[in-house]
Amino acid sequence: MLLRASGQHTGDEYDLTAILGSRDNKIPDAALLSAYADAFYAEDPGTLEKARKALHDSVGDAALVDAAGIVGVYDAVVRIADATGTPLEDYKVEISGGLRDELGINDFPAARAE
Amino acid sequence: MKSDIDYAALPFPIRDNIVAAQRRAWARLGAPGTWWDGPTRVAIAAEAREARTCKFCAERRSALSPFAVQGVHDCGGALPEAIVEVIHRVVTDQSRLTRAFYDTALENGVSDGEFVETVGVVVNVVAIDGFTRAIGLPNFALPDPKSGAPSRHRPSGAKTDRAWVPTVAPEDVTEAEAGLYGGLPGVNIHRAMSLVPDEVIGFFDLDAVMYLPPTQVRDFGTEYRDLTHAQIEFLAARVSAINQCVY
Repeated sequence: MLLRASGQHTGDEYDLTAILGSRDNKIPDAALLSAYADAFYAEDPGTLEKARKALHDSVGDAALVDAAGIVGVYDAVVRIADATGTPLEDYKVEISGGLRDELGINDFPAARAE
Repeated sequence: MKSDIDYAALPFPIRDNIVAAQRRAWARLGAPGTWWDGPTRVAIAAEAREARTCKFCAERRSALSPFAVQGVHDCGGALPEAIVEVIHRVVTDQSRLTRAFYDTALENGVSDGEFVETVGVVVNVVAIDGFTRAIGLPNFALPDPKSGAPSRHRPSGAKTDRAWVPTVAPEDVTEAEAGLYGGLPGVNIHRAMSLVPDEVIGFFDLDAVMYLPPTQVRDFGTEYRDLTHAQIEFLAARVSAINQCVY
């Protein structure tokens, strides 16, 4: 939702389905960012090294640090939400319902956990 | 392994505010908490790392149902089995946790406060270890535990409503936990660990520098990082999607 709001602010219509895969979209370096996130969860450390280098070469030192921070902290945020059974706020469910269906988010196991 | 948070081995600098926040997190991790003492908190952190290579967790994660596989965790041996189970599931199989997981922990003798503090310790280690891995360094050694007793402060306004665990609504915060939502709007993710206020304060101290502080998240007119808002939100959404997190 924040991604959609960010696009509305700049007048860009982002392909939000890209968050489910490595398809490129209007966001600069989206494919590299997506590959970096995917590689973070890959078993082979070489995959992450390669994705990190590709992102680093494109965005530079400071933005790579930003990316590492986001990956690290969001890997933790999802665990806070799922371990405590914390639901999305009602108003967010309401305004994101169609999008969540379209992206298949409502089919995730955590969406059905009780 | 070095126990201090130090990125001098990298050929480029890490933002000072990230280093400072991670050092604060490491200091908190070794100190007595609310329900656990320092040695137990460090043992929980060590167990969170152990979970990454636990063969039972790997088998369970690849099974259609986590209950289809029976076994014993590869663990450090310093913690009760019920706590080890909480740590390993949160680290390795968080998307399939259900209310029954939480209820079982309580039935096995883990108090709600101990459960929340355990999650709090785990997510600090996950965030910092994740950062070092993402940037290309090995894990730092865990801090030495400090002596002292846990505070055992339970917020009087805690109640069970929206999450499995009891939480404290912003309007129910008392003077005893006055700093709980300092600078935070108190949305559900901020409330998630509010039964143990220090875990909220500590984690979102890290979150503010590794992601963005709440005041900057929706300020789309200003870019505060070298990645744009759109790039930040895209990457965060991608990590959430990989983890099949609905929040």
